[in-house]
Amino acid sequence: MLTKELIGLTAESSGLSKKGVEHLLTTLNAVVRENLMAGKAIQLQGLGVLEIKERKARVIVHPKTGERTLVPSKNQLIFRPVENMKEELKKI
Amino acid sequence: MADKMSWTELRRTIAARAGVSEKEANAFLNALQAQLKEALKNDKQVKVNGLGTFRLQAVAPRKSVNVSTGEEIIIEGYNKIVFAPEAGVRELIEKGGENIVLDQNEQPSAGADPIQKLGAQAEEIVGILGELGQSPKEEEPTEPTPTLPEKEEESAAEEPEVPEVPMADPAEAFNEPEKPAEPVVEPAPVYTPSFVREPETVEEPAPQKPKKKSHFFRDVLICLLVLLLLLGILYYFFRPQINAKLESLLTFWPKQTEEVVPVAADTTAAVIEPEQEIIEEADPNIASIPEGSISQEQILAEFLEASKEDEEEEITGLKENYPGIITIEPIHEGSRLTWMAKRYYGSKTYWPYIFDANRDILPNPSLITVGTPIRVPQLSAAQRDTTNAQTRQRLESLRREAEELSRN
Repeated sequence: MLTKELIGLTAESSGLSKKGVEHLLTTLNAVVRENLMAGKAIQLQGLGVLEIKERKARVIVHPKTGERTLVPSKNQLIFRPVENMKEELKKI
Repeated sequence: MADKMSWTELRRTIAARAGVSEKEANAFLNALQAQLKEALKNDKQVKVNGLGTFRLQAVAPRKSVNVSTGEEIIIEGYNKIVFAPEAGVRELIEKGGENIVLDQNEQPSAGADPIQKLGAQAEEIVGILGELGQSPKEEEPTEPTPTLPEKEEESAAEEPEVPEVPMADPAEAFNEPEKPAEPVVEPAPVYTPSFVREPETVEEPAPQKPKKKSHFFRDVLICLLVLLLLLGILYYFFRPQINAKLESLLTFWPKQTEEVVPVAADTTAAVIEPEQEIIEEADPNIASIPEGSISQEQILAEFLEASKEDEEEEITGLKENYPGIITIEPIHEGSRLTWMAKRYYGSKTYWPYIFDANRDILPNPSLITVGTPIRVPQLSAAQRDTTNAQTRQRLESLRREAEELSRN
């Protein structure tokens, strides 16, 4: 499903206008991003948690040449779904 | 946890930011949440612009063994929810959020003893890396000393000290000591000797700067090449028109100065069609004849008339005999004889017949001027019969002829 359809459906079920929903969604994205950058995890009720996790630096070895390279650590945005949604979607 | 933004907080922030009431924000969030879930269920994928994509990924069933009994069991397949952040967001977080978030990750592993141990190892590794690395050579040996004590203290006051300006070098310096600071207690000693063994090959992820030089000349070269290519393509597609222009120019010139004609014709001879060549051959004769008895135009007109007459007679004097003509169609841009064959006869294989019927006006079958009226001949049953060896042979010979003509 694309964002447009999601906006349409959300507008329908919430009784807001499509434009309003779009505006709110962009605001939500901005807020989420800012808070993530500030080191906060975001709890989306009923869905899960968006949080940043660190991927550690590691040494990789080129299988052919045996060359060793250091992959620097980096941060990743991950989504941890709520247990009950996880279970719900396991079997469809 | 203090570092988690709750639903309520989110709602309030959004309401304030978007300038709507909290009630509306709440309605929006609830609806969004429900719809996201529904969409995941129905479409297995939801894209949220500005954030990322939620996807439902199927995990195939697999075999396993019951650890206590040794029995083989099958773990059933299931769906799992995967989130892939948008490229922009991912980059932002990879680069920007570093310092702040890392501090929080350290807090859970707050044991004093292992950290000291690891701190020492970190120092060692960073020292080695500093020796190896080209650019951060000077910075790294100095950096570990301030960072390490901070870690031992595990003070929450670290946050303000580490601002959100992760310049390339300090950021790397922070990364390296922190790698071992994570609970890598066992693997760490294995890594250390490996660095010592092959020191040259361990790379810093920085050396991309020298590449940025001398791009300008390369770019200019590429631009020129592309331009040339474009010109070539343009010429290729509009060759008939360009040739026609040249022809018309050539017919105008000789009127003014007749002595110049042979020279002008020679220079352009390579580009012109056979028709034109005939005129050129005639040129020297005219030049020798005393002025004005026969002008260039007259010859051209005669030639054209002759060819017209030919055209009218031609259809009977062709190699093949056609029962009649279906239609005369001016060829339009981008069309081919093969396409016309396909349209009128239902198969491309008969195109040599069309060529044959238009021999007189097609000096070069692969070079047809747009608008040329093409005769589409009717085909007899024998001509259509491709199972007949004779027919096939005839088609083949016609095709070869056409190819030869287009090669000249």
